[in-house]
Amino acid sequence: MAKGELLLEIRCEEIPARMLSAGIRGLATRLFEELMGTSLGPREVETGITPRRLVVFLKGIPEREPERDEELQGPPASAAYDAEGKPTRAAEGFAKRCGVEVEALRRVETEKGEYVVAVQHHEGRSAREVLAELIPRLILEIPWPKTMRWGEGSGPFVRPVHGVVALFEGEVVPFELLGVASGDTTVGHPRLSPEPFRVRGSADYRRKLSRRGIEVRVDRRREVLAEGMAKAAEELGGSLVEDDELLDRLAAICEVPGIVEGRFEPELLGLPREVLTTSLRDHQSALAVESDGELLPAFLTVMDRPDDPAGRVRAGNEWVVAARLEDARFFWQEDRKVALAERVDQLQNLTFHAALGSYAEKAGRIRDLADEICERLGWEVEREAAREAGLLLKADLTTEMVKEFTSLQGVMGGVYAREEGYPEAIWRAIYDQYRPTSVEDPVPNGRVGMAVAVADRIDTMVGFFGRGMKPKGSKDPFGLRRAAQGVVRILLEGGLDLDIDLVAARAARLYGERLRAEAGEVLSDLRPFFDDRVRYILGRRGFAFDEIEAGLAVGAADLPDLAARVEALHDARHESAFLSVVLAAKRILNILKGSPEYEFHAERLVEPAEKDLYDGARRLKSEVEAAEGVKDYRSSLKHIGEFAEILDRFFVEVLVMDENRDLKENRIALLQLIHRTPSRTARLTEMVVDRAEHRARSEGPETEG
Amino acid sequence: MSSFQELTLKLSEFWAREGCVLQQPYDLEVGAGTMHPDTFLRVLGPEPWRVAYAQPSRRPADARYGENPFRLGKHYQFQVVLKPSPPDIQQLYVDSLAAIGVDLAVHDLRFEEDNWEAPTLGAWGVGWQVMLDGMEITQFTYFQQAGGMTLDPISAEITYGLERLTMFLGLSRSVYGIDWVPGGIDYGAVRHQDEVELSRYYFEVADIGYLRAQFDGAEAEAERCLEVDLVLPAYEHALKCSHAFNVLDARGAVSVTERVALIKRVRDLAVACANGYVASRERLGFPLLPGTPEERRAAAMVEAVDGEG
Repeated sequence: MAKGELLLEIRCEEIPARMLSAGIRGLATRLFEELMGTSLGPREVETGITPRRLVVFLKGIPEREPERDEELQGPPASAAYDAEGKPTRAAEGFAKRCGVEVEALRRVETEKGEYVVAVQHHEGRSAREVLAELIPRLILEIPWPKTMRWGEGSGPFVRPVHGVVALFEGEVVPFELLGVASGDTTVGHPRLSPEPFRVRGSADYRRKLSRRGIEVRVDRRREVLAEGMAKAAEELGGSLVEDDELLDRLAAICEVPGIVEGRFEPELLGLPREVLTTSLRDHQSALAVESDGELLPAFLTVMDRPDDPAGRVRAGNEWVVAARLEDARFFWQEDRKVALAERVDQLQNLTFHAALGSYAEKAGRIRDLADEICERLGWEVEREAAREAGLLLKADLTTEMVKEFTSLQGVMGGVYAREEGYPEAIWRAIYDQYRPTSVEDPVPNGRVGMAVAVADRIDTMVGFFGRGMKPKGSKDPFGLRRAAQGVVRILLEGGLDLDIDLVAARAARLYGERLRAEAGEVLSDLRPFFDDRVRYILGRRGFAFDEIEAGLAVGAADLPDLAARVEALHDARHESAFLSVVLAAKRILNILKGSPEYEFHAERLVEPAEKDLYDGARRLKSEVEAAEGVKDYRSSLKHIGEFAEILDRFFVEVLVMDENRDLKENRIALLQLIHRTPSRTARLTEMVVDRAEHRARSEGPETEG
Repeated sequence: MSSFQELTLKLSEFWAREGCVLQQPYDLEVGAGTMHPDTFLRVLGPEPWRVAYAQPSRRPADARYGENPFRLGKHYQFQVVLKPSPPDIQQLYVDSLAAIGVDLAVHDLRFEEDNWEAPTLGAWGVGWQVMLDGMEITQFTYFQQAGGMTLDPISAEITYGLERLTMFLGLSRSVYGIDWVPGGIDYGAVRHQDEVELSRYYFEVADIGYLRAQFDGAEAEAERCLEVDLVLPAYEHALKCSHAFNVLDARGAVSVTERVALIKRVRDLAVACANGYVASRERLGFPLLPGTPEERRAAAMVEAVDGEG
């Protein structure tokens, strides 16, 4: 065993796969932090998980805490010693409490007079001692999403605990966890190698588990699994239909992973691909295999054992898959007997939300909102298709297939619409309605798809906001943040100049009496909510927060326009002239702070620099207006940058706070005029300027940077 | 190949050896073995308990006129309750599989998270669905709450789906084709007509007015029983409400809003019965606790004094 090495293994009944990674990460992080806090920080941290084990390997833990002296303040010297300078009972009592000899007390001068102090020497606890206290406490503090009790009320923990191995430098760290004593003995796989065995340290532990086919590093298990599956798929004459999330789960649910390869009736390939892959994934945790874009009648999954000596595991999995796919085929046949249009009526019996009515009502609202969106965007050709897709959007909720596979809502509606012969614009809009489903997922393709996806989300948001059901903290049960994010991304990536406020106002009118809040109130709540999503998404694109704020401050009604402005700002900010303008703008803002409005008289300008400033400002106004008129924000910022020189000269040569009151008021009025010069590009005073950086850049060799 | 009745027999023998009371199914329609009072009520309070029985379980909405090879309006659950759950409960369960002829040297056994919740019983638990070669064969649950009460000690409930297990062991394509008697009469011969007729009844014939009246009547009767501390008769009437609700639901007579209201009425009864049951056992001095009542009182006092120290 290596010096400073800790091996910790907690053996439990099967821990839910979804909780394993976060659980072990939580434990290892806390252990690392707490050890750092007692100067026993390890050099290396590694973790392992299997369904039945949580493992932490630490290396390089110092042997003990460093020695240290602690000074404890006692009674005043006047009370601690009598007239002859002999210690009193107070001094003796204090020394005893501190565990030092009374002769060892020292006198110190403080602000409040002379006091006695005792110096307590701390040896520093041994690492073993600290670990024995720390480990059981931190194990119990792992933040599981759900815990349980068992037996006579043991717990709470994620699942019943059966054993703990805790070895520091090869020796047991003694403690008790939920009635289980720590030790040096573990077991292998419960059915393949259940005999207990002792371990001496991390290397020994890994070696002995490995001999039993157990790998505790989940990423390594995943690699082996992914390789094995790829190879198996190849042997089947195809390749794996990738599913990273499922592979993660499969690696977590077994400790001795073996690959199960199964087949199903080729005629079941008549089912839509989406149904096959979803059924295999949701019911059997199995991956599909494809060749040239077509599925093969085969699947791959895992078993918690290395082999299948009697073919029973494969036969069993095939039996279940056959039954499940038979069910799916039944749904596929039955569902197509009722057209989607007829299903819209059935949506009356399906509640969207108790306070917000049925899905039939929602379908009607989506239709009208999609229509409104097309009208506002000038998409006359798409209006009719958007109305139709909007109305059909939720019809698949009444199908057996979606009742069975809720994750197929939308996709299934699209597939059925395609089968019914709807034009591609419509079936694809239904199919893609939930896009983007993740940060990487693309937005819907095509105008009809974008219109209905935005309509659905804004309808949902207005409904819940209008009934006071807004997300709070981490609680967002109706997924409203994701919905808002979807809207923002669609508008940005689709380049749609669509004012969310106007669509939301229409949505509120469509809800009518159902909303409790006034429409105006809903809108004023929604605006900052959307702005936050805009900040997040633009932030992800690499824009700095002040660039985004400066852009937002002059309006967010047209999101693609906002993005263009922020981008121009991002590019311009490193130019020294631009930075000077920002500084000048902030300076002007300061001068004007608290100043009353004055009337400006051009004829009262006397200094050449102020006359130039006035002329420059007038020129700038028309230049900026012209550039912004064609949305050329780079030019507009360039013109603003060119103004820097004139501004700088003004501040150098002209004293604003002149003794002459008329001159002073007129100069303030001039600055007010400049300050009010409307720019739709950005509010420059929102920009954060680092003076040091500015100077370095304007004087240094990288001026053009 | 295992037959339906051998499986039941072997499971009964196995769990009887583990000290379970070998109980018979409850003589009322229930949706699951959990609703048998020997599970639902016995898991409450401090008394230890071990029981095993096969329970015909009615799921009217799952009825399929005897035409679907996998779905039944009535199926049999083999139910085991161990209270408190012993530390080796998982191993016992694995041993029970060996007892019914599952050779784990050639099968894959996995425990996948599956938490159980029964809103009509105010009950929930934490556990797994046990997967044998990718097939769910058992629900394994550590009860945490029942009748709205937090449980202590904790019971382990093991529920085997008998039809599925028999089918799976024989890799049969239809539930109706499995042997009921080894090499003799099959499941279809025993149960098919039953499934066909019950399906027709549940979906086409059941009189909605009669069922509603039955629900209301049983509810009133349960409340009357509770008023005079008759917990078990009250619970029986709560079960009748639950079944009437299930049939109404299968008949398509329950709207979304009404559904919530009816479930709440059943739950209120179940919770009241659970509370009444614990009180009644307490009045009896929790007779299944080890030792005489006097010894237990003395032990409790010692514990209280120790607790203060």
